[in-house]
Amino acid sequence: MKKLVTALMLVAAIAPMVAGTCFAQEEMSQQEKAQLFRQGAQLWPVYCAQCHSPRPPGDYASYQWDILLPHMRTLGNIPARDANAIMMYLKGGS
Amino acid sequence: MPARRIFSIFLFALGVVALSTVGRARAADSDASAAAELKQIRSEMRQMREERKRDRAVINSLEIKVQQLETKDSRVETTTQQLQNTDQKLKETTLELQQTNAQVKTLQTKVDAPIASSQFGNAFDNYLGSRRFVVNGTFQGSFQYDKATATNTFTLNWTPQINYELNKWTYFVGQLSGSIGADGASGFSMPVASVMMFLNDYVELYAGIFDNPFGNWYEDRSASWVNRFATAPLPYDGEPVGPPTDVGAQLRGGYQWGGLGQDVDYTVWASNGPSYDSSLPQAVIGQTLNAFNGVTLNTNGKAFGARFRVYPIPLSAEWGRLQLGAATLNGKWQNNLWYNAWGINLEYQKDALAVYGSWLTAYRQMPMGTPVGHDNRQGWYLEVDYALNQLAAKMTMLPNPVQQFVGRMLAGVRYSGVNQRAIVASEINTTPAPAFNGSLSIFSPHAREVATLLDYYLSPSIVWQNELDFELPQDGGSLVTFGGPGGATPLYTPFGTAHNDRTFITQLTVGF
Repeated sequence: MKKLVTALMLVAAIAPMVAGTCFAQEEMSQQEKAQLFRQGAQLWPVYCAQCHSPRPPGDYASYQWDILLPHMRTLGNIPARDANAIMMYLKGGS
Repeated sequence: MPARRIFSIFLFALGVVALSTVGRARAADSDASAAAELKQIRSEMRQMREERKRDRAVINSLEIKVQQLETKDSRVETTTQQLQNTDQKLKETTLELQQTNAQVKTLQTKVDAPIASSQFGNAFDNYLGSRRFVVNGTFQGSFQYDKATATNTFTLNWTPQINYELNKWTYFVGQLSGSIGADGASGFSMPVASVMMFLNDYVELYAGIFDNPFGNWYEDRSASWVNRFATAPLPYDGEPVGPPTDVGAQLRGGYQWGGLGQDVDYTVWASNGPSYDSSLPQAVIGQTLNAFNGVTLNTNGKAFGARFRVYPIPLSAEWGRLQLGAATLNGKWQNNLWYNAWGINLEYQKDALAVYGSWLTAYRQMPMGTPVGHDNRQGWYLEVDYALNQLAAKMTMLPNPVQQFVGRMLAGVRYSGVNQRAIVASEINTTPAPAFNGSLSIFSPHAREVATLLDYYLSPSIVWQNELDFELPQDGGSLVTFGGPGGATPLYTPFGTAHNDRTFITQLTVGF
């Protein structure tokens, strides 16, 4: 267990140097964002419905989706680009 | 010949000669004049050729001059363009310099001014991150009736989940679960407390106390409003095959390998590993796993797990979404005694239909001297759910309110079972608990259950669930009791005949 804790602390120390962002959308052009939104609208009912009834975009405010969706991305092991698309759709409609 | 005749001939000849001489003279004059004209023409032609040559030479020299002029003109244009560009850049640089100068002046003013406490706080916040949080979670209240024991039970559970964003790649999630059971006693637990760090698009670190990824159910479908049934399938219920929660670290991620929807994902983890009911005098076969070993932390070694899932159908095919997965969990549960488990799972959704299933098996190495051998446990379930909204849309003969009422319903059926060699009498808990039906008959070594369901969705996350369970256990296996000196010696006796039972659960659950 000590080794595990040490390894975790090491990862936590190194992570800030290598980490990306959970949802990278700021650098995109308007055209890319529009395409991502369309893709998100396709993916949202499919990916979310794997486990539960899909929550409509209006259920949470835009900043709340920012905080809630990472946990869903984790539990569903959703590929980064697909998670980005779903986020774009949910925030676009909230 | 007469002289006259000779003279006449002579005259005639003379005439002929004269005439021929005159003709020749005339012909000679005519030839001379043509030659002169020809000569003149040739001379003119020569002059014209020479003039043409001169003209060509002039044209060539002019063309060369035109080309030279064009080249010069192009160079001039290029130079002009370069000059314009340089001028533009100079203007932009000047503007930037002016802006930078203004910013420097502003910053200088700010630096010179004494810092306010609020500004210091903002600066500190920016350094630490966004520090935003959202609370969501679940609430459930249920009524349960068990026919065999003729008991009515009310239970409540409230599990708020705090989601916290430290920065754009670090998030925390924690659940606090409070419940009131059938005996009126309340209980609190922390089933999830973990950090998520997104290292890049393909790797995420997830560490802390987490729902066990072994099998899909705990992680993906254990929340009460997510699970369509009020109870858990048997392999995840009172006698689980794998530990429900664990403490450790996971690396996980997903990758799209084909068209949209064709994904593969992985989860590998190192954790505290399984632990078993430590209230018993000694380890026995059929002993239950601790429900929240992440909190009790009483294990004896590490465990390592891995899970891989693949989604072979692209969205464009419109054949639904299929998931095929396999998982394994291996570790020492006590000293050098191993726990090995593996399982496969299946999920499929298309329109109103959803199918879930898994098959799990666990082997536990027992200490020397255990009479019945080693501990084996297998469990499985297959669940089919069907939302009635599409069916209701076709029932145009119904009045609109009825059509809407039916459209909010979901029907389901689930078959599940667990096989194990023995069951411990003192662990048979007949007190119902939330998401746990408490029926006597499921606490048998060879438990089987058919659960039927009719849900009514008030909204996507507010559900009124109605479940009727048929407990159909099979005979066989052993019952473990403790006796002898100090009540510490395990006694294995045949379980005997198992009895069927029926349970009804109605539950309101809210995901908020």
